[in-house]
Amino acid sequence: MFLTRSEYDRGVNTFSPEGRLFQVEYAIEAIKLGSTAIGICTSEGVVLAVEKRITSPLMEPTTIEKIVEVDKHIGCAVSGLMADSRTMIDRARVECQNHWFVYNENMSVESCAQAVSNLAIQFGDSDDDGAAMSRPFGVAILFAGIDEKGPQLYHMDPSGTFVQFDAKAIGSGSEGAQQSLQEVYHRSMTLSEATTAALTILKQVMEEKLNSSNVEVMTMTPAQMFHMFTKEQVEEVISKLS
Amino acid sequence: MSLVQPEMRPHYPDYATAPTQHHFSPYADNGGSVVAIAGDDFVVIGADTRLSAGFSIYTRDQNKLFRLSDTTVLGCSGCWCDTLTLTRILTARMQMYQQEHNKVMTTPACAQMLSTMLYYKRFFPYYISNILVGLDNEGKGCVYSYDPIGHCEKATYRAGGSAGALLQPLLDNQIGLKNMQNVGDSKLSLERALAVLKDVFISAAERDIFTGDSILINVITKDGIQDYSFQLRKD
Amino acid sequence: MSVLCPETPAPGFSFANCKRNALLESKGFPVPKATKTGTTIVGIIFKDGVILGADTRATEDTTVSDKNCEKIHYLAPNMYCCGAGTAADTEQTTQMISSQLELHRLFTNRVARVATANQMLKQYLFRYQGHIGAALVLGGVDSTGPHLYSIYPHGSTDKLPYTTMGSGSLAAMAVFESRWNPDLEEEEGVKLVRDAIAAGIFNDLGSGSNVDICIIRKGSVDYRRTFDEANKKGVRQSSYRYPKGTTAVLSSKTIDVEVVDVTVHPIEPEHMDTA
Repeated sequence: MFLTRSEYDRGVNTFSPEGRLFQVEYAIEAIKLGSTAIGICTSEGVVLAVEKRITSPLMEPTTIEKIVEVDKHIGCAVSGLMADSRTMIDRARVECQNHWFVYNENMSVESCAQAVSNLAIQFGDSDDDGAAMSRPFGVAILFAGIDEKGPQLYHMDPSGTFVQFDAKAIGSGSEGAQQSLQEVYHRSMTLSEATTAALTILKQVMEEKLNSSNVEVMTMTPAQMFHMFTKEQVEEVISKLS
Repeated sequence: MSLVQPEMRPHYPDYATAPTQHHFSPYADNGGSVVAIAGDDFVVIGADTRLSAGFSIYTRDQNKLFRLSDTTVLGCSGCWCDTLTLTRILTARMQMYQQEHNKVMTTPACAQMLSTMLYYKRFFPYYISNILVGLDNEGKGCVYSYDPIGHCEKATYRAGGSAGALLQPLLDNQIGLKNMQNVGDSKLSLERALAVLKDVFISAAERDIFTGDSILINVITKDGIQDYSFQLRKD
Repeated sequence: MSVLCPETPAPGFSFANCKRNALLESKGFPVPKATKTGTTIVGIIFKDGVILGADTRATEDTTVSDKNCEKIHYLAPNMYCCGAGTAADTEQTTQMISSQLELHRLFTNRVARVATANQMLKQYLFRYQGHIGAALVLGGVDSTGPHLYSIYPHGSTDKLPYTTMGSGSLAAMAVFESRWNPDLEEEEGVKLVRDAIAAGIFNDLGSGSNVDICIIRKGSVDYRRTFDEANKKGVRQSSYRYPKGTTAVLSSKTIDVEVVDVTVHPIEPEHMDTA
């Protein structure tokens, strides 16, 4: 990394001679400083679990919102710069509502990811579409949703690239977590197995001890759609962890 | 009674008249009628092929049915130039949707989109009487009718255009089975829907001067769209 | 005013309601639309006389109000007149002039001349400054030969060898301009008039249905009502007869008639008095 570091890492609109956009790569690096988030997609639904870093005992943990509702049928978990994530979530929400308004149907999860991706790459020079952002977003997102294709999980990084996953981890513990996910994931997993697996892995990669106030859990099922776990429900899952 | 007459000025007719105002009308009425009837697993839509302006005929052979997808057809009558513009934008929107969302737009989605597109021009509307037909997400025939500024109504049968007011009561009776007793509620067959569709156009051609020449019919089923044509009187 | 001597109504039009109607219109109650015969009417002079032709559609705005109306009106035994414009005006005007021509014939004891009828019509229409919406094609044969006039609602007239009027006049005139000549035989003339009217029927939305033709020769008239049925009505695919009991009976009431007495009087057939 440091070998190729040069003048080319200053502007977001300049490729290095090797064909790299350093600012985008640095933004992707920034995610690795963020809190860990895990998503697992099963045939019954999708589960998202994130860690919340409680940096001070004086902090009110419920005010850290890392899993949010985009529409009734789409939720997302974010990792990285929280302020940046708000802008992206706002866009996702607007696009979903607009799609419902124009077509009277739910937006597909892929289309929602595409819409946010369009926003994510609007850094660099301004053009006809409006003023550009000075830098890429420092955020990675996991989209969990249900559309006519069933439960789906999408991951998007700061470059705007989005890919569908069966299971994906982002944030500081993502490397270890992704390895563990690969080991535990199988196609016939139930949603409750997935929830337990997500928290088990989260517990392994988190620095602090996992408890009901430093994690957020959400499930997306055809019956309940977006459902945030209450403190009691989280405690129930934690109690079952080995 | 006043002693002085209120208007002392002599009356010169040439100067007394108000200034002449000229104004441009951006709309034309090119006539035409559209009728649609839906059944449990099909929908039929027919439109006459006469395109007219005032008392003259532009053409006796104009298709007014637009295929938006394999299950969706739009019938338009009214201002023809608006129809051309609207249908071209619709076709583009159908393609853009397909490319953006990797699926074909369903008839209910298209119905909602048309409504928003019409309301978008609330204060300079497309002067068109639109009837959108297709199969819904369960495969049932459905008919959506619109006013020029985007009011949308889902129905099972509908007549629109220059003979719309003449034909709707006829459909209410023959398809809606209104104002009758002991008629049962036998399912509407495709054959009967087609026969009634042709017959109401025969009647429309008798009394409406903007409807005539021939009709084009589209029958939409899960197997696709079929075309039929039928001759009407030409006076 | 006694019953024995009823008041004779004042002659001419009554303008009694003009002010009221203007007021009603300003308050948003417009006068109902009059039936217009958006029409094709034509006339030609041929070798031995005059041929008049007309379509048979009457319209109220954009709906057809009469599918087979008569637009060739009788004026005199040797004269007929086609009418376009406001249906009531053409009918009343021709009827009134017809009655005046009959009086004129009795008074002069001569066959009335077409020029006379033309003069009477134009003076009458001019008096009403175009408010009587009658556009006419007047044709006939008198002692001076065949004559054909077109008369406009404001009272101007043209004397022509062939003419067309109404909303289909351009379509019909196109046929005449290409095919008319002064030495047409009757059969050719009838064919030409039919084709001119048909052009109006098919190309003008205000004209439609059938072709009526009237041939006026010296001393004879041939009025051919429905000379050609230009358009056949479509054949229905389905039956629209309602089975008995389809109409709901909301309430019924029976009133019994009481027969008090019956008597029968046989009547003998009477023989006609042929004495």
